[in-house]
Amino acid sequence: MAPADRTGGDETGTVDAGALGRRSFLRLTGAAGASLLFSAAAGAPSTQALTGVAGQASVARKRRAYVLVVDGARPDELGTALTPHLRALRDAGRNFPAARSLPVMETIPNHVMMMTGVRPDRSGVPANAVYDRSEQTIRDLDRPSDLRFPTVIERLNRKGFTTGTVLSKEYLFGIFGTRATYRWEPAPIVPVSGHAPDAFTMDAALSMVEELDPNLVFVNLGDCDRMGHSDLTGTTLQAARTAALVDVDTQVGRFVDMLKTSGRWRDSVVIVLADHSMDWSDPHQIISLQPALDADPMLAGNVVVAQNGGADLLSWTGPADRRAPALRRMRDIALATDGVLSVHEPAQLRLGDNAGDLVVYCRSGWRFSDPAPYSNPIPGNHGHPATQPIPFFVSGGHRLVRQGTSSAAARTVDVAPTVGTLFGLGDPRGGYDGTSRL
Amino acid sequence: MTSIELDRRTLLTTGAAATGAVALGVALPDEAEAAANRYFKHGVASGDPHPTSVILWTRLTPTPKATPGSGRGPRATVRWQVAEDRRFRRVVAQGRFTTSAARDHTVKLEARGLRPRTTYFYRFLYEGVASRIGRTRTAPAAHATPANLRFGVVSCSNLPAGYFSAYRHLARCNDLDAVLHLGDYLYEYGAGSYGDVRQPVPAHEMVSLSDYRRRHAQYKQDQDLQLLHARNPFIVTWDDHEVTNDAWAEGAENHDPETEGDYLARRRRAHRAYDEWMPVRMGSEVALGDGTRLFRRLRFGRLAELSMLDLRTYRDQQASYPVADGTVSDPERTITGAAQMRWLKDSLRQERAQWKLVGNSVMIAPVVFPPLPNDLSRKVNDFTGLLPEDGAPYNVDQWDGYTADRHEVLGHLADHGVQNTVFLTGDIHSAWACDVPLDAGTYPLERGRSVATEFVCTSVTSDNLNDITGTAPARSSIPVEAAIQANNRHVKYLNFDDHGFSVLDVTAARTQMDYYVISERTDPNATVSWAASWATDADTQAVRPVDAPVRER
Ligand SMILES: [Zn+2]
Repeated sequence: MAPADRTGGDETGTVDAGALGRRSFLRLTGAAGASLLFSAAAGAPSTQALTGVAGQASVARKRRAYVLVVDGARPDELGTALTPHLRALRDAGRNFPAARSLPVMETIPNHVMMMTGVRPDRSGVPANAVYDRSEQTIRDLDRPSDLRFPTVIERLNRKGFTTGTVLSKEYLFGIFGTRATYRWEPAPIVPVSGHAPDAFTMDAALSMVEELDPNLVFVNLGDCDRMGHSDLTGTTLQAARTAALVDVDTQVGRFVDMLKTSGRWRDSVVIVLADHSMDWSDPHQIISLQPALDADPMLAGNVVVAQNGGADLLSWTGPADRRAPALRRMRDIALATDGVLSVHEPAQLRLGDNAGDLVVYCRSGWRFSDPAPYSNPIPGNHGHPATQPIPFFVSGGHRLVRQGTSSAAARTVDVAPTVGTLFGLGDPRGGYDGTSRL
Repeated sequence: MTSIELDRRTLLTTGAAATGAVALGVALPDEAEAAANRYFKHGVASGDPHPTSVILWTRLTPTPKATPGSGRGPRATVRWQVAEDRRFRRVVAQGRFTTSAARDHTVKLEARGLRPRTTYFYRFLYEGVASRIGRTRTAPAAHATPANLRFGVVSCSNLPAGYFSAYRHLARCNDLDAVLHLGDYLYEYGAGSYGDVRQPVPAHEMVSLSDYRRRHAQYKQDQDLQLLHARNPFIVTWDDHEVTNDAWAEGAENHDPETEGDYLARRRRAHRAYDEWMPVRMGSEVALGDGTRLFRRLRFGRLAELSMLDLRTYRDQQASYPVADGTVSDPERTITGAAQMRWLKDSLRQERAQWKLVGNSVMIAPVVFPPLPNDLSRKVNDFTGLLPEDGAPYNVDQWDGYTADRHEVLGHLADHGVQNTVFLTGDIHSAWACDVPLDAGTYPLERGRSVATEFVCTSVTSDNLNDITGTAPARSSIPVEAAIQANNRHVKYLNFDDHGFSVLDVTAARTQMDYYVISERTDPNATVSWAASWATDADTQAVRPVDAPVRER
C-alpha cells in the first residue's frame, strides 16, 4: 500500500471517534513511566488497575490467552540465535512449521481470520484495500462495520470474560474498534508507517495484562513488517530487519518474564504467529496493471485496481452485460504481464463479494504498483503466495499446551478455535473454518 | 553419545559374521531355507507401499530349465499370503498368481485390504514349498501425522565393482519404512569394462530382452540384495544404467545404432525387464505392461510425500563439449519433459504434506567444478560420470545441463512459498549435503536464497574418486573436495572417497541424513561405520551438521 499521510503524535490516533462509540478512557503509567491511554467498554471493571497489584505472585487463577502477532515475520526468522526468547517460547510449546497465511496474505484479513475463525467470504474482509462499489472508491477495510462475523472477542465478552486489544497499526485499531473490553489507543504513531513501535506496543500490553488482566489479549507487533515496508532504498534493509527481529524478541521476552514473575504463566496459553511473511522485490520488478488495462479499448476506464502489494484486486465497473468478455480480457492482459504469477476468481480463494472480480498474484521478487508505477515505492511486500509461510506456535504454562512439533497445516484461521477451546466457547453459527491447535 | 547409539554403532561395525544372528530380525532357518530353495532362487521383494496396499514380488523357477531369459518353462500358479505374524497364523490377505515364460516367470501383484503403517509378513507357495519370508510395511494413512519416517537411501550398485555389503548392513536397520533406490540399480556393461571383482551375467553388455532379464536375475541372486529386499519395501526409480549409460529420450552415450539396433526398441526391452523384475508400479495398476510411467507419488500422511522422478525417459540430449554455446540454458531443452514438469510442480505444493521429498536420480544443486590440483586432474579426467569431462565447468548430465528446467522448479518453490522440499539424489558416487540456491551467484543473499536442500547418497559399489586415483588411505580426495566447496558455497558436505548407504529420518521438526560407509567394497565381509550426519530444520531450507546418527526407534 502507499504510505499514508498521517499527522501522528496524537494520543487518540486518527481513528474516527464516532466509530469507537461510547467509551471511557483509562490513563495508566507504563513501565517506562510514560502515560498510556486505554479505552474501555462502558461499565468495564477497572478495579485492578486502581489497586495496582502488578508484579504480585498472588494473581488470581483464571484462564488466560495471549495472541502475539509478529507482523510480517518469516517462519525461519523466529527460531534462530538472534531470537532466543522466541525460540525458548517455541520450544516450550508446540510448533507448526507447515503453517500458512491465507488469501489475501495481508494484515487486516489475516488478523480478522485469527479473531473470527472464518474465511473472508464469511467475515467480509478479504484484503487490506478493496474497491468499495457503493462508495465508488478504493479504501482500506478499517471500519468496525467492515467486519461482519462475530469475533472470539465479542463472544468471550458475552460469556462474561474480559478481552483486550493492543494493536500497533491504526487500521487494525480501526476495524476491531470497540469490540474488546479494553483497547489500547496506539501511540505514538510513526508518521509514514502508521504504526506504533514495538517497545511502546509492549509497554501497553504489559500494562494491560498487569493492571486490567483481561482473559484474552490480542497483540500486534508491527516493527518487523514496517521495517520491510518503510525502507525505501533497500540498501540497509537486511540490517533494519535484523534489528527489528532482535527488538521484537526482546519485547516478547519482557512479556513472558511478566507472565512468569506475576504467576500468570501456569494459566496461560501464548500463541505466537505472523499474519503473513515478507518478500522483497527488485527495483525493476514492478507490475502496473492499471495502465495496461486502460490501454485496452474494451476495458479503458472501466477497471479499478485495488493494489495490495503482492496482489491486485481487479473490479469491472462497466456495464454488466459486458462483464464476462471483459473479465476474459482482464485475465489475458494480466497473464501476459511479466512478473504475474496467476489469476483467480475470488470465490476460488474464498474471498467473497467485495474482493472485486479477479485476484492477480505476482511472483516472488516482484510487486504491484497501481494505479501508477510510482504508487508503491516500498521493496518489502506481501499478499502473494510467496508470503504464505508463517511462524505459528502454541506455548505457555497451561496444562493444555503440548510440546513438540506438528506437521499439521496450521493457518491463521485456527487462532479463534484454539482460543475458543481454552475458554469452552461453542462453535460460532455455521462452524469455524479453522481447527483448534490445542 | 548415549549407550544406545554406541551399541548400535558397535553392532553395525562388528560385521555380519560375528553378530548376525543377534542383529537379524528374521530367524536364521528361513535364510538357510531360502538359499536351498529350488523354486524361489531370486528371493522375495515388496515395494511402493500405500496405506492399505503394497506390491509383492518374486520369481518362480518351476522347472530347472526355466532359467531367467530362457523363454522356457511351463505356466505355473503360485499362492501368496500376507500375515500379521511371521508364523502365518493370522493371514490377512492371500491369493493366487499365474506366471509363465512370457513374463520370465516373475510374479508381481498388489496385496490389498491392509491396515496403514503396519508391519506384515508375506511369502509365496509353490508345490507345497514356501519361499523365504518377506517383511514389509504399509504407509501411514493419508491424514495421519506420524512422529517420524525412516528410509534407507541407496544408489549406484554395480555388481562387478564389488560386494553389496552396504545392502547387508542397511538390512539390519529394523526400523525402516522403506528403502529408496535412486537409480543405477544394475549396470549394462560386459565383463571387464567396469569392475572385475565379480563377473557379470551375461558376460557381454545387456542389449536383448534375454540379456536384461539375465542381468536382473543375477542381481536378484546376490544374497545381500536379497536380504534387503526381504526386509523392507523398496521405492525405486531408474537412472541411465538400467538401460545404458547417459541415456536421453532418443539415444544414449553407450548405444550404437549400427551394432545395437534401434535405441527405443532397446529401451522398451530394458523397461519391460525392469517392470518384470522390480517391485514397482509403472502405471495405474501393477499389471505388467500397463505403462512405463515411473514418475509417481507416495504419500506418508501429513508428514511427507515422496515424488519419484524419471529423469531419463523424456530428457533432451545432453549438451556436448565445449558447452559455451548456451545449450545448457536453452529454454526449449528439458530434463523432465512437459508432463512430468507439470506433475512435479503439482507435487511441490505446500498443502500436500509438510516435507516434499523428491527422489531425484541426478543432482539438482548447481556445482561448478574448479580446476583441480595437478596431481589429481589426469586421474579424475580419466573417469567420466563422476566429474565432468576434460575441464568442463559442470556436469551436463545433471540438472546443471538443463538450467531452464531447474529454474522453473526452483522459481516455483519461491513463487508459491513452498517450504521443506528435500531432494534425495544418487548417480554421482559420492556423498553431499547442499543448500539449493535460487541463484548460486548471489547465494546466500535474498535473491540467491536457498529454496530447498539436497542430500546425495554415495554409491553402493560404483567407482568414486578414491577408486580411480587408487590412493590409500581414505580421504585422499580432500583437496578436490575443498576446491569444490570453495567454489560452491552452498555445498556444505562432500565425501568423494567412500561407498555405503544413508538413512533418512523425517520428523516434523527436521529431516536428517545419516551417512554410513563400508570398509572395503572388494571385501565380502566389509564392516560399516558412521561417517557424518546432516539435517535441515523445518522451514530453514538450509543444511546443518549433526554430531550423531539417529537411534533405532
Ligand atoms: Zn501484516
